[in-house]
Amino acid sequence: MIYLDNAATSLLKPPEVAKAMTTAMRTMASPGRGGHEPAAKAADTAFRCREELSEFFRAPGPEHVAFTMNATHAVNIAIATLVKPGDRVVISGYEHNAVTRPLHMLGAETDAAVSPLFEPEAAIEAFRKRLPGAKCCVCTHVSNVFGFILPVEEIAAMCREYGVSFVLDASQSAGVLNVDMEALGAEFVAMPGHKGLLGPQGTGVLLCRDRARPIMAGGTGSESRNQAMPETLPDALEAGTHNIPGIAGLLAGLRYVKRRGLESIDAHERKLKGLMCRKLAGISGLEVFSSPTAQSGVLSVRSGKLGSEEIAAALGARGVAVRAGLHCAPLAHQSAGTLEGGTVRFSFSPFNNAAEIDRAAAELVRILKMSS
Amino acid sequence: MNIIMCRSLTYAQRASSALERAGITATISRAPQELTNRGCGYCVKVSPRRFREALDILARAGIPHGRLFRAEPGGGYTEVAG
Repeated sequence: MIYLDNAATSLLKPPEVAKAMTTAMRTMASPGRGGHEPAAKAADTAFRCREELSEFFRAPGPEHVAFTMNATHAVNIAIATLVKPGDRVVISGYEHNAVTRPLHMLGAETDAAVSPLFEPEAAIEAFRKRLPGAKCCVCTHVSNVFGFILPVEEIAAMCREYGVSFVLDASQSAGVLNVDMEALGAEFVAMPGHKGLLGPQGTGVLLCRDRARPIMAGGTGSESRNQAMPETLPDALEAGTHNIPGIAGLLAGLRYVKRRGLESIDAHERKLKGLMCRKLAGISGLEVFSSPTAQSGVLSVRSGKLGSEEIAAALGARGVAVRAGLHCAPLAHQSAGTLEGGTVRFSFSPFNNAAEIDRAAAELVRILKMSS
Repeated sequence: MNIIMCRSLTYAQRASSALERAGITATISRAPQELTNRGCGYCVKVSPRRFREALDILARAGIPHGRLFRAEPGGGYTEVAG
């Protein structure tokens, strides 16, 4: 099987991820829940992971790294901390439902800075018009549908200029592009552990600045007589038992990314994306959404002849795993004009290779020929 | 041993890590029950001989800590000034 659905979850992980998880399951208990050796080992693993994440993403310190279930969980905490009902929140036109639904549920006024696909300058202008007077800005670094790299450095700079809290959704960029919390001046950075960071499903991270509002209460192993949640980070956000096997796997994934290097990973994925674009160029009735500069290793296509779900199903039957439809991001499809029918998305990982791209493209061409 | 109370396990780990890097043995431990008025806390234990140096290192690293105690040879704890 050729797995090209890495924007949802990376499936192929470095072998050391599973090994670290197995070791954690056999030897580690729960951090902060005892003074015995298995608890101490768990605490040490969690702390090392916090420390390395903090250094890698330039967060203020290890205590500013909170473990979450996934990026959605992390985004929910960020929004619950910064936004009240009725507040105006500026978002990009390429946000995932992980951002738009929490804002909707909270009763915030969502103000989308819609801009054309792969036009960073237009995105900057759209944000410039909307940011003054806004309470908060939540922006994805990379569109999960199109791989469009948003100009987040410029958007964050405008947020600082206008005194607007900035939240970065690094779901598609963490482990692929440079994410520098300090340089961005972001209030929060949310990311999954199971995509570009190559950790297991069930892991996510929220990098916090000074304050964060818990959305779940419970035991933290600290201040147990106090019925209010501790205000100290990361305890404030980590009620209940930690996913220590997941955190151990995440740490192993992060170390792989650090060893291989962001530039190498990004270049590899963009190369595969470019190869796929060349293979699909000139196919009648197939629209390929690509940009030579403002796109990471995520590529969407659509056909005038076959629906995106039909194509994905046919590819799946031929051993190529992709995702079709709206990708939980109807706003992104609306911005790009693909809301009706959605797209077929190919998303690449450090473990895909050119032969897989050749085969996936060839299968797509066959499927389209058979339908005509 | 002298005891440096910490806000949380993570702060205790930060403190221990900074002290160990400076060559000071710093053991993370659950705080003695009589020293935690809020229940379940963490502390770092260091030798009295290097206690002042340890506090200076934590201050320079910007790592906050809680109250400070000396473990008495006959049992019990005496609060000491920072």
